[in-house]
Amino acid sequence: MRKRTNGSSRRNPRLTIAGREVRMLGKEKTIVLALAIQLFVAGFSSFLVVGLVSLYDPTGVDGYTIEAAVTGDAADELLAAASEHERVSTTSYDDQASAQSAFQQGSAQLIFTANWEDDRIRIVTTVPDSNVETTIIVTEARDVLQTLERQQRVDRAAFLEQTPLSPLGESDGNPYYDFTYTILVPLLVFLPIFISGSITVDSITEEIERGTLDLLRVAPVTLTEIVDGKALAAIVIAPVQALTWLLLLTVNGTPIHNIGPIVLLTTAITVIVVALAATMAFVGSDRRGAQFLYSIAVIAFFAGSSFLPGGPTNTIARLAIDSADLTSYLTIGIFVVAAVGVYGGLRGVVSQVDPNEL
Amino acid sequence: MSRRSLRQLHRIAQWEVSRGVGVIDRKTAAVGVILLLLTGGVVGGVVMSGAGGVAIDRDIYRVGVDTENPYYPVVAQSSQLSAHPPDHEALARGDQDVIIEAFDDQFISWQTTGTEKGDAAHAALLSEIDRYNERQMASEPNQTAAYPVLVDIQYLTRFVDTPEALAAAQADDTSTSDRDLEGDTDSGSDRDTGAETNGEQPDSGAETSGGTDTASGPPPAIGTGVFGGEQSGSPATIQPPFPFSSLLLAFVFLIPLNFVIQAYGSTILNERINRRGELLLVAPVSRRTIIAGKTLPYFTAGMGVCGIIAVAVGGGLQSIAGVLPIVLAFLSATFVGGMLARSFKELTFVTVTISVFITTYVFVPAIFTNVTPIALISPLTIVVMDLQGQSATMGELLFSTVPFVVGSVVLFALGAGIYREEDMFTQKSIPDKFLDALNAQLSGYRSVALWTALFVPFVFVAELLAIAVLFVAPIELSIPILLITIAAIEEIAKSIHIYAGYQRARFDRALPVALGLGIASGAAFFVAEKFTAIAQVVGLPELALGQAAFAPVGLTPTLTIGLLLAPLALHVVTAMITAIGARDRRLVYGSALFIATLVHALYNYVVVTFYA
Repeated sequence: MRKRTNGSSRRNPRLTIAGREVRMLGKEKTIVLALAIQLFVAGFSSFLVVGLVSLYDPTGVDGYTIEAAVTGDAADELLAAASEHERVSTTSYDDQASAQSAFQQGSAQLIFTANWEDDRIRIVTTVPDSNVETTIIVTEARDVLQTLERQQRVDRAAFLEQTPLSPLGESDGNPYYDFTYTILVPLLVFLPIFISGSITVDSITEEIERGTLDLLRVAPVTLTEIVDGKALAAIVIAPVQALTWLLLLTVNGTPIHNIGPIVLLTTAITVIVVALAATMAFVGSDRRGAQFLYSIAVIAFFAGSSFLPGGPTNTIARLAIDSADLTSYLTIGIFVVAAVGVYGGLRGVVSQVDPNEL
Repeated sequence: MSRRSLRQLHRIAQWEVSRGVGVIDRKTAAVGVILLLLTGGVVGGVVMSGAGGVAIDRDIYRVGVDTENPYYPVVAQSSQLSAHPPDHEALARGDQDVIIEAFDDQFISWQTTGTEKGDAAHAALLSEIDRYNERQMASEPNQTAAYPVLVDIQYLTRFVDTPEALAAAQADDTSTSDRDLEGDTDSGSDRDTGAETNGEQPDSGAETSGGTDTASGPPPAIGTGVFGGEQSGSPATIQPPFPFSSLLLAFVFLIPLNFVIQAYGSTILNERINRRGELLLVAPVSRRTIIAGKTLPYFTAGMGVCGIIAVAVGGGLQSIAGVLPIVLAFLSATFVGGMLARSFKELTFVTVTISVFITTYVFVPAIFTNVTPIALISPLTIVVMDLQGQSATMGELLFSTVPFVVGSVVLFALGAGIYREEDMFTQKSIPDKFLDALNAQLSGYRSVALWTALFVPFVFVAELLAIAVLFVAPIELSIPILLITIAAIEEIAKSIHIYAGYQRARFDRALPVALGLGIASGAAFFVAEKFTAIAQVVGLPELALGQAAFAPVGLTPTLTIGLLLAPLALHVVTAMITAIGARDRRLVYGSALFIATLVHALYNYVVVTFYA
């Protein structure tokens, strides 16, 4: 490395370059696009969550009951099972034809035709072929039928080696509660990381392709310092974006726990991804080649680390939902160490690069 | 297209391919292969050792349960739940979400934290208990006792008035092979276990189920609902009509497109760096040929990959037809992005925006494929339908693909408008270039009318997106917001190109000219919006929200001539307001737009309340 007189009046060139990179991003206003994307993702995800919950959890619909017509020689067993479900009210019909007409006239939304078939009960369940309603009806019908199955299994306990476990109460929890933590939070955290890596590739290949790297090299800085500066800018913006989103989610009523450790993990992953990106920028022949390699490298990194126990996605989910344990913190530690190692590797690569050949 | 320009197109495409292949030089290729091998090695190694798995929700809930507790295996075998020694203090602290305790193996008590997370953990525990029971039952030797209930689900259109329809539906039992595709893998493997015990079991149910596997072992899984079809199985395998695996497969089509547009965006922007594209621009080749030639290889690559995927996941021509507009949309949006971006960095943001936006736009509605016709705003719905074995009608196909295709053509045309020296090699701001692109398409009144009409698919997309976003909001809130949003979208579509024309001094500032432009634009919009009749073909306006979006344009047959003319008058009047404002600065145009939107929204409100 070149010897540098470190006068107090002279700013670290890395900071100068990093500052310029960040200012350029602000000037191009494209960072606004990135924020808009994430807002879009966040908005649509909550739309999805609300939509799914209202579709698949009819408890949200107050006072909604489903009228079921029941016929057949096993109707009594079914009626007993249905009586445990408040949202399904049943009417018994003597024969299939009258149940049919009730269904067709709309006084029943569902027909259970339950008949004994040797030792089993066969239930033909007829549901209307319409839209949203069908989903709710099928979900409710399934609950009734599962209760019936459970009761019938208990009756046959003598013929079973294991007795099925009984359910512990009725569920009133939101089955999509974890969606925010396992999908949305990792998505909002990883998207800025991907983008940071990608703009690192852009920033370096653009200098190479436009031939402006020569100009920059006339200035009293080394190639390592240039890369350091560009990487620094990219590394800073990703955790800042992630932090913003986590705080916004908290303000919006979704409590995010362990924000500090999440940001630390995010920073470590960003360092790794940005170092990979910078390496690919020197290995690839132009932007297309470099971006292609970068994409493969990132997929390799995430696929590889997600398959490992305690992968980054799972770790972030567990930290955010407040179910972290020792392995979560161990994961953070491993990623911090890996970040230092990978960045060291990048510096090794850069020191091998002859700037005059670019 | 003449034979000569075809030959030129071919040559440019060939050149693009050879350059693209040249980029992947030996070093790049070698590094790529090494990376792929490395990934394969890591993933393979971890999978072989059995240590991992891609469970992103692993151990997110903590359950306090003793190892002697009968519920312990439920928790231990679950991925979502992690077992801990029960500790009431930990529960109070929130370090455990649910506690299960057994007293004398008889009395079981359970307790949650009472928080939202605790309730969610409880819900997860309940479904894990069901799953555990299913696994236990599958290994029972006495399968009749383990599966005492068999269910056939049939979807029946109501008000068909004859019981024969039911009988027909019953006779028309679908084969189990179809269900296997959709059913969860647990049941699939369980069935083999059950089959071994076959000999001891009475052969019940064989007669009615048309010789399916139901007879031996556990009943087959009930697959995802295909409307009109029938499903059989045990109650636990009933799945509400939710095309999960088809949706997942459809998503596979979108992944490679991201790589294609990344390379495509690069090649477009590459032309603009250091004036490299100038040589091609001065060559005796038309602009259209250059763009078509540069796009063709990427289009072919995108469609080729999608074709291979279609064959691999069992899709057919319908899948290809559904994917084609998506490929076009990706490419055309990237083309415009490549023409507008000032640097690689900007292009990256643009590319990410495009993939996120289009992916969400096509993916989210497709989730509701079996639920609501609104799903057809996405061509991916056509793919999902195909993978489910449903065939789309011609009307459905047109409804979901035509707006995308027209939109893509419009984007290509806009980008082509600035494929010229003064826009390609200068650092103009993006709004400036956008106005340039619009201005390049204009010549007189007729062109204004044409472009207003061409914007209608975009208006359509924007309005449907607004409906989709507001779908879940309470109707008292969503209707007013929708009315204003739709009015604003339509007013912008009718006036933005007029504004561009005035800003580039293409039109005369005289008042009669401005009014003429307004009339041309408003009338064209009215005529083009008649094509929303296609939406009615599919039955979209059955939804209350759909009605709010489309009723104001007056498609109801009961309308009198006077009422038919009212929307025409509205569109013309508001377009004239904005055209007058467009002659001036941005602020004046903005104010005119605001006034026009208010007028429009007020009119819509009156019409909607009139109908109500």
